[in-house]
Amino acid sequence: MGEMGYYAVLLLGAWLFVCGVTCLALKRNALGVLMGVELVLNAANVNLVAAARYTPAFRLEGQIFALLVIVLAAAEAAVALAIMLHYYNTYATVDVDKAQQLRG
Amino acid sequence: MIPGWEATPGRLYVLATAIPLVVTLLLALAGMLRGWVRPLRARGGVAQTLYWVLGGDVPLRAGAYLAVAGMTLTALLSLLGLTLFLTQTATADSAGGCWAERIDWVRVGPMVAPGDALGTENVAAALPALALQVGYRIDALTAVLFAMVAVVSLCIFVFALGYMDEETQAVVEDHEAQHQYHRHTPVRRRGRFGRFYLFLSLFCFAMLHLLIADNLFQIFVSWELVGVCSFWLIGFYQERPSASQAANKAFIMNRVGDAGFLIGIAIAWSHLGTLNLDEIFRRLRGAEGGAGEIRRVQVLSTSEAGLEYVVVTGNDWPAQHVLLHPLTEQKREVFRDATESATANLHDYTVMPYWLWLVMGLGIFLGCVGKSAQWPLHTWLPDAMEGPTPVSALIHAATMVAAGVYLVGRCFPLFAPEVFLTIAYVGAITAFLAATIALVQTDIKRILAYSTCSQLGLMFLALGLGGWTAGLLHLVTHAFFKALLFLGAGSVIHACGHVQDITRLGGLYRKMPITALTMLVGVLAIAGFPFLSGWYSKERILSQVMGLGLYQPEHILLWLLPLLTTIMTSYYMFRLWLTVFTGPPRDKQLHDQVHESPAVMTVPLLVLAVLSGAGAWGWPLWEVEASWLGQVLEKAQPAMVREFAAITERGHQYHTWTGIVALACTLVGAAAAYLWFGRTPVTAEQLQVRTLVGRFLWQKWYFDEAYEAIWVRPTVRLASGIAAADKRSTTVEAGIAAHPPSPDRSEETTAEEATPPRFDWGTLDGWLNSLGDAAASGGAAVQQWQSGRLRLYVLTLALTVVVLLAMLVVLAG
Repeated sequence: MGEMGYYAVLLLGAWLFVCGVTCLALKRNALGVLMGVELVLNAANVNLVAAARYTPAFRLEGQIFALLVIVLAAAEAAVALAIMLHYYNTYATVDVDKAQQLRG
Repeated sequence: MIPGWEATPGRLYVLATAIPLVVTLLLALAGMLRGWVRPLRARGGVAQTLYWVLGGDVPLRAGAYLAVAGMTLTALLSLLGLTLFLTQTATADSAGGCWAERIDWVRVGPMVAPGDALGTENVAAALPALALQVGYRIDALTAVLFAMVAVVSLCIFVFALGYMDEETQAVVEDHEAQHQYHRHTPVRRRGRFGRFYLFLSLFCFAMLHLLIADNLFQIFVSWELVGVCSFWLIGFYQERPSASQAANKAFIMNRVGDAGFLIGIAIAWSHLGTLNLDEIFRRLRGAEGGAGEIRRVQVLSTSEAGLEYVVVTGNDWPAQHVLLHPLTEQKREVFRDATESATANLHDYTVMPYWLWLVMGLGIFLGCVGKSAQWPLHTWLPDAMEGPTPVSALIHAATMVAAGVYLVGRCFPLFAPEVFLTIAYVGAITAFLAATIALVQTDIKRILAYSTCSQLGLMFLALGLGGWTAGLLHLVTHAFFKALLFLGAGSVIHACGHVQDITRLGGLYRKMPITALTMLVGVLAIAGFPFLSGWYSKERILSQVMGLGLYQPEHILLWLLPLLTTIMTSYYMFRLWLTVFTGPPRDKQLHDQVHESPAVMTVPLLVLAVLSGAGAWGWPLWEVEASWLGQVLEKAQPAMVREFAAITERGHQYHTWTGIVALACTLVGAAAAYLWFGRTPVTAEQLQVRTLVGRFLWQKWYFDEAYEAIWVRPTVRLASGIAAADKRSTTVEAGIAAHPPSPDRSEETTAEEATPPRFDWGTLDGWLNSLGDAAASGGAAVQQWQSGRLRLYVLTLALTVVVLLAMLVVLAG
């Protein structure tokens, strides 16, 4: 495939990342925000896997880090969903704009 | 019994000193425990048992017995120590034999290895360290005074068992105190027997520690302890406004003196580099035991290595510096040969300015002036009569006022000639002043208080004239007869139901013969009748005074005033005794209730009467110089007393004449008192003063009024002015009182209207407040960013990353 494939994959990662951040910034639903977080993490994963595929120095490290990020994403989702459940129990909503109690 | 007893017998004194402290701590602990378990006593069990063991609601007598037992032990140890000391130093060759030990307490700098001996040259050179040392030093002066303090205190402790009897009740009604809210009901409080003995023990510990201390630091610590104990004891009846005021007065007056003392200590520390008294003397007066003369020098040049060249001048030349000798024993004693104006190379020597040396001496003396109630700080002592009579006896005889005289005697070699002259003048003025006031007073304790002032003045006079033994011998004998007189007065007061006014007493001789006779011994002793202890010391003082009169007759006050004082002392003491014990009773009703005090009070009187009579005897009896106490004290006399030889020798020469003059003065005073008060009955009206001079003396020369006008009132006015400038609440309150806030008005408008322009608003407070306001508004502005909106945060984050990346791209090119 050559160099073009590498750039294409990196572009895919960047596009995914931007989608994720946009989702984070625009969604009011907490579940939507969590999905945005997943998108961002997977964008990073795409980059890591691309690096492992195309760069000899990162052959092993890229894959291991990608696995790490997947595990981390799972843990993060568990914690975040627990928080969301608790939040919903208390306020009967999952709107993140309503969660303002810790504002300065 | 004591570790290292054979090698260091001085530890006996440390043990004896520690006993009153242990008693104090035990009493304090018991009192605290009682206070803690008191709320739990109703529950029963351990708390209740403990509460009742500690006395319960009734003050416990056991505490007093503990204190008396401790003091007995201390007195026995002190007598044992005195005997041991005299036998040991009698055989030793050195005249100034002493027991001393000291250790480093706080040390800044390199440590000395265990093998090294301090004082060897290389160790001392390698030690740029500062060490605060603690230690004790027992010489003949300490041994005698220690025994005196312990024995007199023991007598007072025992006496107080009887005198403070009413403090053992569960409820004491104090009729002289006003209730805080109900002005006409007497104050009812719990008896304070234990507290009284706690303070007495602490007082004794402080005084004993002061006596055995070998450095100014320890002396200062116990100096302050003595001060604070006197504050507690003078204000023992704390509900009485007069008592608490007297306590404050004593404490504040002493602060004035202590400021001077502290300055003296600071100068000694910064210029002499040590607080140890022996080392101070050695630095000032050379290595041979601090016995040399002070050298005054003119500095020509100094180098980094130290002092290079000085011109050594004679002592009569007004050079600006005082030479300080090195502490290490150097063999280069340049001054053995150098006499006048020789130039010398002095590596190890330093100098200090002459005026600082003067200030050091004056500062230390100022401390003594405050503590020993000398003019111009004498006004607290008569007011201190507000305390219970045993306290007065303790303050006047054994502890507090003795501390000042002792310190002057102890620091004798570090005073400048000008300081000695000041001491003599202050002493002479106080002696005269206090004696004149005592002539007309009618309060039995006040007369004694002024006589204390006067006698202390005589001691200072003697010390200032170089009569070291005379002054300190008078300190000891005065302690005996003044304690006797005060306890006698206490016995009278106790018997008469707290009546102290001699215009209401009279004819008590038949009712209380033991008190009357023992007090007569005290009166005769203080007046200076032959063969009583007071005679031996007073003769020595007057001999010194006459010596000065012959040597330097231009110091007219210094030899005239003591003679007048002798006449007056004899007069007012006999006036007191004759008015109280002879003649018809002036208050018949009072007289009928009176009975002799119990044995617990009369036995101390008898002991002290024996000491007052025979305390200073020697053989032959009629030789003043043969006095046993005097000879013991002479052993501790610093060698530099020889600088006063001109005065002392003239005094010796005319000793017989001095004796006759002194006796004549005493007899004149006594005869005058007998003519006015002894022959015919004197009514209460005749004791009142009517003449202008009498009023003047009755009002104590208006010293209190003058101090009130000069110091107290301006200070209070200044303080209230400053307080007014900073008083926020009162102005706001005043504003609210003027314009009561209506509910519809907001708070800000009320405060804005009410606050008048304040002085501090534009000055310090304004500046500080504007700083605080700026910080607060800055915080409020930054606060807006913390909106709590998660999406905004994410957006900010993302945009920041974009900006950072853009910067990276642009900058990295």
